Amino acid sequence: MRLLNLTAICFAITSALMLYGLSYETRRLEAEVQSKERTAQKTRNDIAVLKAERSHLARPERIDPLARHLGLLPPKPEQFTAPSSLAVLPGEIGAEIRADLAASRSR
Amino acid sequence: MCSATSETQLTRHDDVAVGEARSLPSNGRLSRQRVAHTVVLLGAIAAFGGVAAQLLSLGMTPRPVMALAAAEPIATSYSRPDIIDRNGRLLATDLEAPSLFADPAMVLDRDEVVEKLATVLPELNQADLRHQLLDKNRRFVWIARGLSPAVAQRVHNLGLPGLAFRGELRRAYPAGMLAGHVLGAVNIDNKGVSGIEKYIDDDVGVDAVHSARLSTRAPVRLSLDIGVQHALEDELDTAISRFHTTGAAGLVLDIKTGEVLASASFPRVDPGRPSGQPDTAVLDKISASTFELGSVFKTLTIAMALDEGIAKPSSMYDVRTPLQAGRYTISDFHSAGRPLSVAEIFTHSSNVGTGMLALQAGPQRMKGFLDKLGLLGSMKTETGAISAPQLPRAWERAELITTSYGHGIAVAPLQFAAASASLFNGHGRLVPTFLRTDGAAHDRQIVVTAETSRQMARLFRSNVIDQDGTGERADVVGYRVGGKTGTADLAGSGGYKAKSVISSFLAAFPMDAPRYMTFVLLFEPNGTAETGGQRTASTNAAPVTARLITRIAPQLGVVPVLIAATQ
Repeated sequence: MRLLNLTAICFAITSALMLYGLSYETRRLEAEVQSKERTAQKTRNDIAVLKAERSHLARPERIDPLARHLGLLPPKPEQFTAPSSLAVLPGEIGAEIRADLAASRSR
Repeated sequence: MCSATSETQLTRHDDVAVGEARSLPSNGRLSRQRVAHTVVLLGAIAAFGGVAAQLLSLGMTPRPVMALAAAEPIATSYSRPDIIDRNGRLLATDLEAPSLFADPAMVLDRDEVVEKLATVLPELNQADLRHQLLDKNRRFVWIARGLSPAVAQRVHNLGLPGLAFRGELRRAYPAGMLAGHVLGAVNIDNKGVSGIEKYIDDDVGVDAVHSARLSTRAPVRLSLDIGVQHALEDELDTAISRFHTTGAAGLVLDIKTGEVLASASFPRVDPGRPSGQPDTAVLDKISASTFELGSVFKTLTIAMALDEGIAKPSSMYDVRTPLQAGRYTISDFHSAGRPLSVAEIFTHSSNVGTGMLALQAGPQRMKGFLDKLGLLGSMKTETGAISAPQLPRAWERAELITTSYGHGIAVAPLQFAAASASLFNGHGRLVPTFLRTDGAAHDRQIVVTAETSRQMARLFRSNVIDQDGTGERADVVGYRVGGKTGTADLAGSGGYKAKSVISSFLAAFPMDAPRYMTFVLLFEPNGTAETGGQRTASTNAAPVTARLITRIAPQLGVVPVLIAATQ
């Protein structure tokens, strides 16, 4: 009987301690989740800002005058050439173009 | 001694008594003890059971959603999906921006707050804020929304009690004014009020949020191509200063899919700074306005004549005698002085010739054909309803003749371009869209025969390459451009304005397999040294189209014919 009582008391104290620990741990985890979520949201917002900034810097209205300043112009029709006329090029480039042409013909 | 003995005896006696009690407990005492034990045990079990039940019930019930009392009175704003162009480049996105609010109950010195704030926020309505801060029962008053981080820092540095910031979502347009008319605008709560932004609210969906939480929805992919859009806007901008026009507009259309690749209207609007009030000066000339387009309309009349079997390209018409319609006399701008074939009526842009074709067809067939192209009904795109066409009240002789060359009928340029593109696409009636379709051609009503399409393509091309064609200056070596000019008198209040014209050029390329259509409109261009003092479309809209196609054809992957021939 005494053993039973002692066991019960021990059990009660242990479970109380465990329960307390568990609730404490839960609170800590909750705080951690919240802080992680805040970080994630902040990072997402930062990414959005960076994406917007990149697009703003890459907007054609800005790139166009910069490119023209460097002497670049829209391609003229005579600047285009057929891939077949490049197949005579020596070295790796020529070989690559010939392989591409052969592949496109076999398709 | 005796007392000691008696003490021992007493003790002994006691011992015996205790021993007796332990070894021989009476039956009554035993059962009472058992009952006590059972009661205690039951009590403990009940208590533990209660705790367990409480734990279980706590675990089972869903956690109530935490709601801050402070968030209650704050108006919700909306988080919106991004807008990207057809190649995934960003056109609009949500960004977090600090918004300043006050808690009137916490504000100590109202005047100090208002005066100091005015030094940082000059556009602040001081009287209004003073009035709002007076009400100490209110706990929340917006002061300024969507501030830049720098301004927010300066407000913070003032160190005023009762002021605080909240992160709010703000719409940002990284490409600036690019495609401003198409994109539309949002209001202070980040809700779409016009253009694609309104379409997103109505059809795609936005999420109401209390904080700066970005949307998780997939971005909205438009049919626009940023590169093509910029080329169009840049060329129109140049044209405005070159020809001293009061405005300009243009569009690029995919003939096969109906996708609008670019659409611009000058003066432009900044989607990031909506004016709030509808301003007729900056109305979208492409879809929110209608115009009498003039000779470009002959494209449709000639197509009608060919498709209805009224004439062949080689059929001859005597166009020397002006047409009479009531009290008006319709004659040609440059009379050829000889009979013209239908093909020549197109390239000479003969009013008399197209008038004769329309009269020959009669009002029913003319009306029926325009209706088949979708030009007489209302049309809707993702940016809203296109301005409805203004049609002649009756289709009598005079109306029939003027309609044949694009007067007395006013349509939105987008609707006209879509109708014209339907002549070339080989699928049928084209429905313009601002969303990327991935080439999915849905069932369409066939409008013209393949033979008519081929004949029209040939006419378009010959108008650009023939010596006496009006579109000569629109040609770009290699890209097989075809097109039609239009110089229409501009309608003002109480009749046509003197010397004011809308000059336009409708073009398609490459003409051997028409894929893209461009439509450029210049409003009230002036004659310059470059145009020889002329203000006709062949001298201004046509060369602008040539410059435009030179820039966009390589972006659209059109192979120049110099190369196509060698392949």
